[in-house]
Amino acid sequence: MASLNPVTGTLGRRRSAHILRRATFGPNKSYINLYAGRTANQAMAELFQATTVPAAPADFENFKGWWVGQMLNSGRSIVEKMVFFYHTHFTTKEEIVGSRRALFHQNQLFRYYALGNFKELTKKICLDNAMMVFLNGRDNDRNNVNENFGREFLELYSIGKGLQIGAGDYTNYTEQDVKEAARVFSGYRNDEEFLTIDPITGIPASYVRNDGGTVATAHDAGVKTFSQAFQNTTIQPNTLVGEDATVAATLDELDQLLNMVFNQDETARHICRKLYRFLMYYEITPEVEQDIIGPLATTFRNNNYDILPVLQQLFQSEHFYDSDNAIVQDDSHAAIIKSPLELAVGTLRYYGVALPASGTQAFYDSIDNGILAPMNLQGMNLLEPFEVAGYPAYHQNPDFHRNWISHNQLARRYQYMAQLMSSMDNFGFQLDAVAYVENNISDPSNGQVIVQELIDDLLPEIITTVRFDYFLNDILLDSLSMANWTTEWFAYQGSNDDSAVRTQLESLFNALMQSPEYQLQ
Amino acid sequence: MKRRGFLKKIPIAASAPMVLNGLPIGLLAKGQLQQVAASSGNEKVLVLIQLHGGNDGLNAVIPIDQYAQYFNLRPNIAIPDNGSRGYIPLDSTLDITDQVGLHPDMVGTKSLYDQGKAAIVQGVSYENHNGSHFRSRDIMFMGGNYDDYFGSGWVGRYLDYRFPNYPDAYPSTEMPDPLGLEIGTTVSLAFHRDNGIPVAVAANDPEGFFDLINSTGGLPPDSVIDTHYGQELQWIMDIEANSNQYADRLKEVFDNGRNTPSVTYPETYPLAASRLKNTLAPQLKLIARMLSGGSKTKIFLAKIGGFDTHGGQVESYDPTLGNHAALLYHISAAMEAFQNDLQGLGLEDRVVTTTFSEFGRRAASNASFGTDHGNAAPMFVFGKAVKPGIIGTNPDLLNLDGNNVTMQVDYRQVFTTILSDFMEASDEAMVRTLFDGFLDKKLDLFSKLVTSTRDDFIAKRFKLNSIYPNPVLDRTTFSYYINTPLMVDLELFDTGGRKIRSLVSGQQTIGEHRLTFDLSDLKPGTYIYRIKAGPLDTAKKLIKI
Repeated sequence: MASLNPVTGTLGRRRSAHILRRATFGPNKSYINLYAGRTANQAMAELFQATTVPAAPADFENFKGWWVGQMLNSGRSIVEKMVFFYHTHFTTKEEIVGSRRALFHQNQLFRYYALGNFKELTKKICLDNAMMVFLNGRDNDRNNVNENFGREFLELYSIGKGLQIGAGDYTNYTEQDVKEAARVFSGYRNDEEFLTIDPITGIPASYVRNDGGTVATAHDAGVKTFSQAFQNTTIQPNTLVGEDATVAATLDELDQLLNMVFNQDETARHICRKLYRFLMYYEITPEVEQDIIGPLATTFRNNNYDILPVLQQLFQSEHFYDSDNAIVQDDSHAAIIKSPLELAVGTLRYYGVALPASGTQAFYDSIDNGILAPMNLQGMNLLEPFEVAGYPAYHQNPDFHRNWISHNQLARRYQYMAQLMSSMDNFGFQLDAVAYVENNISDPSNGQVIVQELIDDLLPEIITTVRFDYFLNDILLDSLSMANWTTEWFAYQGSNDDSAVRTQLESLFNALMQSPEYQLQ
Repeated sequence: MKRRGFLKKIPIAASAPMVLNGLPIGLLAKGQLQQVAASSGNEKVLVLIQLHGGNDGLNAVIPIDQYAQYFNLRPNIAIPDNGSRGYIPLDSTLDITDQVGLHPDMVGTKSLYDQGKAAIVQGVSYENHNGSHFRSRDIMFMGGNYDDYFGSGWVGRYLDYRFPNYPDAYPSTEMPDPLGLEIGTTVSLAFHRDNGIPVAVAANDPEGFFDLINSTGGLPPDSVIDTHYGQELQWIMDIEANSNQYADRLKEVFDNGRNTPSVTYPETYPLAASRLKNTLAPQLKLIARMLSGGSKTKIFLAKIGGFDTHGGQVESYDPTLGNHAALLYHISAAMEAFQNDLQGLGLEDRVVTTTFSEFGRRAASNASFGTDHGNAAPMFVFGKAVKPGIIGTNPDLLNLDGNNVTMQVDYRQVFTTILSDFMEASDEAMVRTLFDGFLDKKLDLFSKLVTSTRDDFIAKRFKLNSIYPNPVLDRTTFSYYINTPLMVDLELFDTGGRKIRSLVSGQQTIGEHRLTFDLSDLKPGTYIYRIKAGPLDTAKKLIKI
């Protein structure tokens, strides 16, 4: 059976690479070597360390580049991976929000709660300026309820939709609950001046529409009655002024709603399933549901929705490292298809490709041209997923992350790998295959060593000898002898003319990275 | 409204079949359809247009007989019933309970309707409608009930049956093309089979695709291990192999294809900022070109997004303008261009196009000049093979279900009718598609019994009546009927073709027009009176005594 029992002993290279690929935006050779000598607990102690909150970009227009910059420079920390996870969960679209500043503040919210309390984060999202615009929360008032946010709050962000078992009944909630939740959410407005500051996070938030004093003027002060799915809970203001709720009572209703929803076991399970699909594998079998999701959800609830204990339990488990049973068919090592974002950032991080100085216009231009634009061609328009539920890879049955791979997008991914090696003019950065090999391979004069050491890090699973021979003999050696490569390498060392070895090494890099194997992590 | 009108319009099966010379009409029709299939080699093509986000049917197809109720439900977004931006009355020859107005930006749809190339199916949904975009979209893609959870889609199942052993046995001489083509970069659930890679290729740029495929990739792995990693690896390898197989062919077809030179596809919405680009038009243009280039792809999917109009569906200062208006314009204008293009290419008989959306929107509007998620909504079916008209009746706005329009037709009735009656799918194919439960609930969308159905349809809506009295002594009354506002020229000629008199010249409104003229000054003899009005160009004889 699948098991969350902790693994013991040092990780070794395979498990080291595994945890680094899943918990960060990808390792380099030294990271893999470092964690190979550590236990899972030692690795997590570093991965889960709190990080300092990065300063805002000088110009909010550069928010996207700034964000990708955080990923590139996040080292051995899980924080940016969790920020990305929260973005895939609470997705917003820039086209609708229309304010990069609002998106930046939302992003900082994800960072603030990266290793914190998920229920708190959900509350802050209910009050988030970007979300308030994205799902029409600002248009939702007591005279005309707008259900958009109320529906997605239940369907996507908290308890999740269950099987439809009758008219308007989705097991976990009903159409009635959507309408009643929308009433609870009524009467807020985004703050376009960003002057309303959340006292806990220090991050700008929305506000309750009011009369200049304590009276909430657009909130529906009536009694909201939820369905049997929520034990027929009622929510109403605890303080009224005439027929209006107070501002404090309006906010209190939000707490009542969150308590009601987060008191359901299914809410913890829904979030744990999403986390599992993001970090482990998309297929959740009845066995995984029972042995993994259930216990993780229990941990989540027992810790009042703190995310850290859940992550710790998963990342040190036998299940995470496929050592909970002898069956290979359920092994999930290397079974996640990288998103275009992870492909780009992970590749640049692995090779340590240098971008222009951080924060300069050249830096932002190179992220726009060299990362975000190619990602778009590969099917990931960052902050502009086609639909409200976000990128299909994280929710769309039955394919989930297979959605990243279409005929077109796969070819675009391959094309990008080739572009990276001749992109200085277009991207403002470039992967130099010769320099990488010269500085990182233990014996570059030995073709076998080059191929072996690159495969060890770049391809996430063991390959056959036939495959190895293809990379070595057909590609790197061009069907010539091992001795010939050695001669070529020393000729380059003697002459500084790298043209011959560059052609062969770039062919090898292309073959390794324009491969089905390299798409997986 | 009562369901009377609706039932009347579904003559198929359920009740006893009509009998003609001892033969049930249903059987007769079926035999004829099969004959058509045998002779044509069945090159029928279905184009699906997904309206992503939930289209507001009530502002696209406005129930004229319940206008007051319609207005009361949505005063801040209601399309006016008069003025230059009032709704377009679609067809005043219909029963009053079926009469609808189209959004003023749906001129293209109106034009196609008047040419007998468009049908509207009212009240499409499914039982126990799901209010989630994603779930509802999936249900319509997979072709199931509200409580079904298939991993495959109805298009995938149909094509998987129609073309066995995909992808191994393809491309073949019979089917050199991808079975389905989704315009875009991903393949929707609709095209998924029960196992393995989907039946469709996603492409939006066949030339670029060819160059791309031929400049990327390498040798695939020689073996695959039996883990989750191995499953994902196999998926990627299969897509890569499939790309290599179809890249050359897609380019060949694209290069061989063309569009009708005289047809211009719309690019933007003329009444608003240029950012409101028509994203559907280039997709339909590509499909027309691929078909003219010899593509045998059976089912195409094009998409247009932006229908989730919770807020800002209309402009606060003018309910006829705004995002939804632009989208309806995009669909109508792109469809009209597409249909004209197909006509110019001689492909009109082969192609039927249908829209669908995950749901309609709430009958009552919200305060943000928008609408929340609703239930049933109309579907538009276009094509020369389509029997023009309206199926179903206007929604009953006095008897809504939770402020939602109720269902008249299951979406699978529409798809079943198209697959079975137009694509000529066998009953066995429909079993495999999981649509066999709808074979006895097909709609009257493709009547083949009367070949002149479309001509009759038009003749009823655009006609020049005979004058009365005739022969004419002094006064006589001319009358004509037009189903759309038009420039009308009614002129009198002598038998030598010389124009004697212009009787009517100018813009005229919908409906029957009667005009009495005193012709006592005419010399006795034979004359011709001729009308030119849009699709109407006909002449009749007048005798002066």
